[in-house]
Order: sequence, then structure tokens, then C-alpha cells
Amino acid sequence: MQRKRFDIRSLPRVIMLVLPGLIGMAQASPARAQTGEELFKTHCAACHTVGGGRLVGPDLAGVGDRRAPEWIVRFVQGSQAMVKAGDETAVALFKEYASIPMPDQPLSEAQVLSIVEYTRGGAAATGALTPPAAAPVAAEPTQAEIEHGQALFQGKARPKNGGPSCNSCHEVVHDAVIGGGVLARELTTVFGRLGGQGVRSIIGAPPFPVMQRAYLEKPLTPEEVSALVAFLQFSDRNHALQQPRDYGPKLAASGAGFTALLLGFYTVLWRGRKRQSVYQAISDRQITSSN
Amino acid sequence: MNALNAFLFVAFPYAAVLVFVIGLAIRYRHRGFTISSLSSQFLEGRRLFWGVVPFHVGLLIILTGHLLAFLVPSSILAWNAEPVRLIILEVSAFAFGLSVLVGLGSLMFRRFTESRVRAVTTRMDIAVEVLLLTQIILGLWVALGYRWGSSWFAADLSPYLWSLFALKPETEAVYALPWVIKLHIFGAFLLIFMVPFSRLAHIFVAPLHYLSRPYQQVMWNWDRGAIRDPNTAWSRARPRNN
Repeated sequence: MQRKRFDIRSLPRVIMLVLPGLIGMAQASPARAQTGEELFKTHCAACHTVGGGRLVGPDLAGVGDRRAPEWIVRFVQGSQAMVKAGDETAVALFKEYASIPMPDQPLSEAQVLSIVEYTRGGAAATGALTPPAAAPVAAEPTQAEIEHGQALFQGKARPKNGGPSCNSCHEVVHDAVIGGGVLARELTTVFGRLGGQGVRSIIGAPPFPVMQRAYLEKPLTPEEVSALVAFLQFSDRNHALQQPRDYGPKLAASGAGFTALLLGFYTVLWRGRKRQSVYQAISDRQITSSN
Repeated sequence: MNALNAFLFVAFPYAAVLVFVIGLAIRYRHRGFTISSLSSQFLEGRRLFWGVVPFHVGLLIILTGHLLAFLVPSSILAWNAEPVRLIILEVSAFAFGLSVLVGLGSLMFRRFTESRVRAVTTRMDIAVEVLLLTQIILGLWVALGYRWGSSWFAADLSPYLWSLFALKPETEAVYALPWVIKLHIFGAFLLIFMVPFSRLAHIFVAPLHYLSRPYQQVMWNWDRGAIRDPNTAWSRARPRNN
């Protein structure tokens, strides 16, 4: 009897059967079940208060009474899209808050509504909520703080909990700091744009998913946050005097130079390689010996 | 958009690994002799050198780098703490990436211009080469356009990959990344997916034992007279039967 074999060509069909299930599983897996209060602290508290006055963005106390729930959901999920589409309220808010775009939040409709619910009743129950990072900013940072902040920014001083340095993703125009990353926003004038409190809030409790994940298990300590705020305040004031090197083109050029060296290295290392077919030698030899 | 993200970064990675393991086992069991690099060195050797060597050396180093950032992210962050070390790492990685690009470009050029190689080319070979080319161009683009990738890979992508292994995908950070990086991540899983169906499977039959095995001395016995003369030095050991 002939054994029926599994033919590898039927594998794509098997995959097509399994894949929808996997997608369903992926979508069904909930991020983490969280209450409105927890979600507010993770996603909103860096820039908003509930009854604590305006911060980077408006005070959200009673926001559910001022705006329609559907509008809030749309705004939280994609505020810039609404501004671009010319939604009057969205454009007015954007202008009122110094044209600082609110990052799109990866929240579902139910999650946004639970936050709205929290801003309605939760804050009243727990008293006016002041965000965890709302400590007053020292008026003038010390030189030591600025220097520590600079070292932390480019990683020369490692954050106590082992998080990545700021320049992994951010750049600051500063002579003594190497070209920073360009994955995220350039931060030279962020202090002027967001104010000390805004910067402190964002560093302390990042509302951006990528930054949030990077510091999830490795948060910056309050002292480190203060030092970084001090450094950013310094660079905001002094950036006009700084003329740092541009790393982009240099990186590409040095990479290309190194590649040329590598190619030379391969030639030396494999100098004894066979340069022609084995058959060539046999063919030549037979011609010679028959002569 | 979320359904697309969930497909690309949760469902597809699992499907790819599943297909990779099962597909490779089936191929090894039923068509074991097809697991080969299908070398074309006998057909053309001179230009091959300028393709395979830069390609494979570069690729092995780059893959090791990605693997290290995945396995020991904190060590990579500690290494990058000193700006000079960060720049050395990034420039070297970029250079090895360019080495892969040079090698792959020259291999593709050879495949299309050398009639002997073109004769043994299959559609899957072209698919693999185009995918690899896209992947390396995206990687170089990420390195320059979204620098310092070694640091943010360790901070964000390493936790994502570990979360996939732990069967509790944490995807919010990956969803928020720029599309160039997302395509590069998807491309990596697509390559894993294609291993059982293509010559990529030859990574599992790399002749590593060649590194430790003794040299094989090849002698051409074409001059019978010289072999029979005990005074010639055709071999350092005198033949025993003489």
C-alpha cells in the first residue's frame, strides 16, 4: 500500500486555514484590563489634570459635559487628523495650546469612555487630582544639575534603573553632546514650547507608546528628571550659540569608507582562492601532454 | 489599521515561526536532499567571489548584532553609554550592511547577466533575492534615517520580541513606530516564513565541520613517470611500495 505523504506544496493552503484564527486571537488578546483612573494616569496625566488647572493641555475635569463622547473618542485617537480635516473645535484647541500636537493614543472607544467617566466622577470622589509629577520646578537650575542632565542625556551617566539614554531617539543642538537619535522629536527648544512643567510631566510619565515601553520597567528617578529638565532649559536658552557637527552625512561616508576597507580585507584574506574552474586546469594539462 | 497591525506584528510572526518549524521538518523528512545552497560555483566562480563573500560575511555580522540586541539588550545599552563606542558600533554595523548590499547587488547582476547561472535560476531564487534586497535597503534606511537603532532596538524591540516568545504580545510601541521600521520587522518574519520553501534553508546545512577538518591533499597522477621515480618530491612521504 502506498503511504500518503504530506506534500509541501499544500502548506500554503494549511496556513490560509490557520491564519484567520491567529488574527482573531491577536485582536482578541486584550492589552491589560485597566480602570479609567489607571488609563488616565498612564496616558493622560503627563499633560492633563482633572481639576488641577491647565498643564501642557487643558484641565479635563468635566470634559464629558463640554464635548460629545464620539468627538472625544475621535480626538483622542487622532487629533491631528481632525485638525487637518478642519474640525473647528479641534483647530481652536490646537491654536490655544501653542500648536503642540497631542499624540494619537492607542486606546479603544471603551477605554476612552472609561477615562471620560473617570474625569466626571472619579476626581470628585478622590479630591482634585494633581498629577504625580506636578511638583514645582526650581526657578534656576544649578550648574551641577545641568551637567548631570547633559551626561544623562547622552548616556555618559547611566540612569539608575538602567533605562536608555535620551539621545537614543532624541537630538539636542549642543556642542558637547554627540548627534542624537532621529527616531523621535528634536528637543532643543522643547523647554520653551512646553514649559518646565510640561517637560517634567512628559519625562516622568511619557504619554508616547514608544517612550512608555522603553521606560516601563526602568523609570527615571525624580532627581534624574529634574537634571534633564535643567539641561533642556539650558539648551533652549543657549542653542543659538551652539554649532554642533552634523552626524547624518558623516555616518554614511564613514560607513562607505569602512566598506571599501572590508572589500580590501576580503581580497587579502581569500588571496589563495581558486580563480578559475577546476576543469580549466585539467583541460589545459591534457592539451599540454598530448602535444 | 489596528487589524492590519495585529496581522503584521502578532498573527504573521506566529504563523511564520509555525510554518518555519513544520515546513522545515516536512522538507527534511521527505525531500532532505533539496536542502542545499544550490551552489553555482562550478558554473561561474570568478564573479561569484565578489558576491558571496561580502554578502555572507556582512549578513552573519549583522544577524549576530540583531541577535545580541535581542538577547542582551542591557549590555548593548551599557556599551552605547559612551558616545564613541556608540558611533563605532553604528558605523561598523552600517558598513557591514553596505557589504551585504554590495554582495547581493553583484550576485543579482551576475545571475541576470551570466547565461549559465540564468539557466538554473528559478522564480523562488528571484523572489528571495528581491526580498533580501528590499530588507537590506530598508535596514540601511533605518540605520541612517532613524539613528541610533542599536539603542532603541534594545529599549523597544527587544521587549516586543520577548513578549512574542512569552505568548503575551506587547505591541503598542511597535504599532507607533514609523512604517519603514515596521516594514523591516515584517520583512524579517517574511524571510523566516520563506525558509522552508526556498534555498534559504541551506543555513541549516552550512558545512561548519570544514573549519575543523584536516586539509585534503589532492594529487594529480597524470605524470606516471614522476610518480614511479622514488627520487622525485611529488610527495613528501616516499611511497611504501617502492
